[in-house]
Amino acid sequence: MIPTILINGLVNSVVLVLIAIGFSLTFGISGVANFAHGAFYLLSGYTAWMLFRFLGLPYPLVILISVVTVGALGAIMYWVVLLRIRGIILSEVVATFAIGVAILEFFKWMGFHTYEFSLPVFIKGSMEIAGLFLDYQRIAIVFIGLALLLFLWFFVHYTKLGLALRGIAQDEFTAMSLGIDSDWTAMISLALGSALVAVAAISILPLGIIAPSVGYDVLLTALAVAIVGGLESTIGIVVGSLILGYSQVIVASYYTPLWMTVVYLVAIVGVLVIKPSGLFGKSKELEERV
Amino acid sequence: MKRVSLLIMIMFLGIGLMVGFVRISVAAEPIVIGVPTALKQPESIDSFRSAELAVEEINAKGGVLVGGVKRSFKIISLDTAEERPGIPIHDILAGVEKLVLEKKPHAIVVGAYRSESFLAQMDMIAKYKLPYLETISLTGSFEERMQKDPEKYRNIFRICLNVPTSILYYTELLKFLNKEFGFNRILFTVQDILAFQQTAQAVQKWCKENGWEVVGYDAYPTGSSDFSTTLAKAKGLKAQIIFPIYYTAESSILLKQARSARTPAILVGYVGPATQENAWGVFEGQVEGLVNLCYSIGQIPVKTVPKSGEYNKAYGKKWGEDLRRKLVGHGPASGYDAVYILADAIRRAGTLDGNSIVSALEKTDINGAIGRIRFNKNHQVVYGLDPKEAAVGCLFQWKKPGTRVPVFPLPIAEGKIDLPSYIK
Repeated sequence: MIPTILINGLVNSVVLVLIAIGFSLTFGISGVANFAHGAFYLLSGYTAWMLFRFLGLPYPLVILISVVTVGALGAIMYWVVLLRIRGIILSEVVATFAIGVAILEFFKWMGFHTYEFSLPVFIKGSMEIAGLFLDYQRIAIVFIGLALLLFLWFFVHYTKLGLALRGIAQDEFTAMSLGIDSDWTAMISLALGSALVAVAAISILPLGIIAPSVGYDVLLTALAVAIVGGLESTIGIVVGSLILGYSQVIVASYYTPLWMTVVYLVAIVGVLVIKPSGLFGKSKELEERV
Repeated sequence: MKRVSLLIMIMFLGIGLMVGFVRISVAAEPIVIGVPTALKQPESIDSFRSAELAVEEINAKGGVLVGGVKRSFKIISLDTAEERPGIPIHDILAGVEKLVLEKKPHAIVVGAYRSESFLAQMDMIAKYKLPYLETISLTGSFEERMQKDPEKYRNIFRICLNVPTSILYYTELLKFLNKEFGFNRILFTVQDILAFQQTAQAVQKWCKENGWEVVGYDAYPTGSSDFSTTLAKAKGLKAQIIFPIYYTAESSILLKQARSARTPAILVGYVGPATQENAWGVFEGQVEGLVNLCYSIGQIPVKTVPKSGEYNKAYGKKWGEDLRRKLVGHGPASGYDAVYILADAIRRAGTLDGNSIVSALEKTDINGAIGRIRFNKNHQVVYGLDPKEAAVGCLFQWKKPGTRVPVFPLPIAEGKIDLPSYIK
């Protein structure tokens, strides 16, 4: 059982990293908590499905178009809606939440929730690791997760755009005084966050089916990981994902899978009570701010 | 004299015309059937389409004879959206009550999608004394309520298979698997809804009382899409049988994951998406070996019950082959037969009075797509093992090259259970 928990826990944790990293990045740079995150995850899945099923495009092209499309939609959402209410946190949350629910309910209304809505795996088959047969898609998810983290590290440390994003995240006013456009970087962060969730969707959805309920689960997951790990910290996302990922697998293995969602909710409440900024969060505690 | 004769003739002609006019007016009024259900869910929409098919067939033959006058059926639907866990029960009840008060149906068929909704609707519908023929909810609590207060719930009937019969089918099958292959280690994985939990817990109890080893019992919330821990448990604890009961589209992932993880156990139970005729193609053969319950025949045509095949064919003719191949394993044939049951009861009652229809329903004895249809004292259609005596469900096994072979009950079996190739 132990090797099974270790391996399944790792896969589960990387899945959580993939889901949450875009949400955290967007918030860390632009300060926008994108509550349409789950809807964009689903949107990229349905986009890929439609391109693959109806146009018969090669799958790598389908992936590219889906990621770019959803990234662009994130940018459009910022420019058309969020730019006007930037800084009004409650309005940003309500607006993105409304957009997200509208997208999810639209797909539900269209009847897009049967088992026929699924994406093909990258490679069929499975291999044995420590007595556990793990399908190649799950192994691919682990590598994609690691590659994404490496890419992000390289991007924010060694590219002009990435450094600009980091500058805005660290101190917006100083970055603006150096000529970095705050609105432009916020838009880029929305686009990047949306593109990252599209990558997550393309990687994870082949394990199951594309269903509107998945969108709500993804939002809850991203929130839980971001709150536990810290909203503006990539290290926090990774640690938060490991904590939640392994907790879920242990609870499901030794108690009951019914409690897997409860793990998220307990983690959110627990962290908010003990350390509201999250384990690696950069926001100052209330006492410090006062 | 001539004038008197002429007057008498005109008088009789006038009376005849009046009677004829009244009869035409009465015959023009259709019998309204209400269908309030979760129309976005496969079980409900397939049941609704099946009911519409039955209505069309009956109307094509002139309608239903009510006290010497033929009347057509008219079907009115309402989407209660009750498949969403967040929809409060009182909202569902408000919607159904609105349908009852505004559209004034003479009866309701198909009915509630969720058992919780059905139990709540029972009290509300009892108030209106409207014949209500439920075809989806499986909960055993229905019959408990009928036993406690038969007069209050007199107008409510259930057509679909109930939990006790599904338990009978499962336990008989497990007996066979024990006898034939020596299996006695079982793991349960269950969707966390009332009817499925009741079923699984009852089968688990039977297993424990009959020398089986229950190696695990995992319940999952509706919509769960990762069953890897349960499958790992099944492999680690050497389960020979995995017993799933799920209806959601997401439950199809269990089949994919079971094959990827190469879990050496046969799946026996109910996986809703895998009851459909097109499932082999959709899942690329990953359903092979699954022994799945079809809650009534009709969705699967069986040779020993010709009406099941006739229904299946007629459904395809009306709604297209694509939709016929997607018929789910629970609800549709019951929805179809519910309309015929109602038509038969109205004809025998000779009136549209609710109480009279209910009295006639209690004496129903017809042959339908699901087998022989009679109600027990709790207003539940009697299900059993022989379609000559009762309605029947059907356990079938998916076999290469992609066919559903009925394997139980024996009177309708068209093949034997084989161990799939991935089990040593």
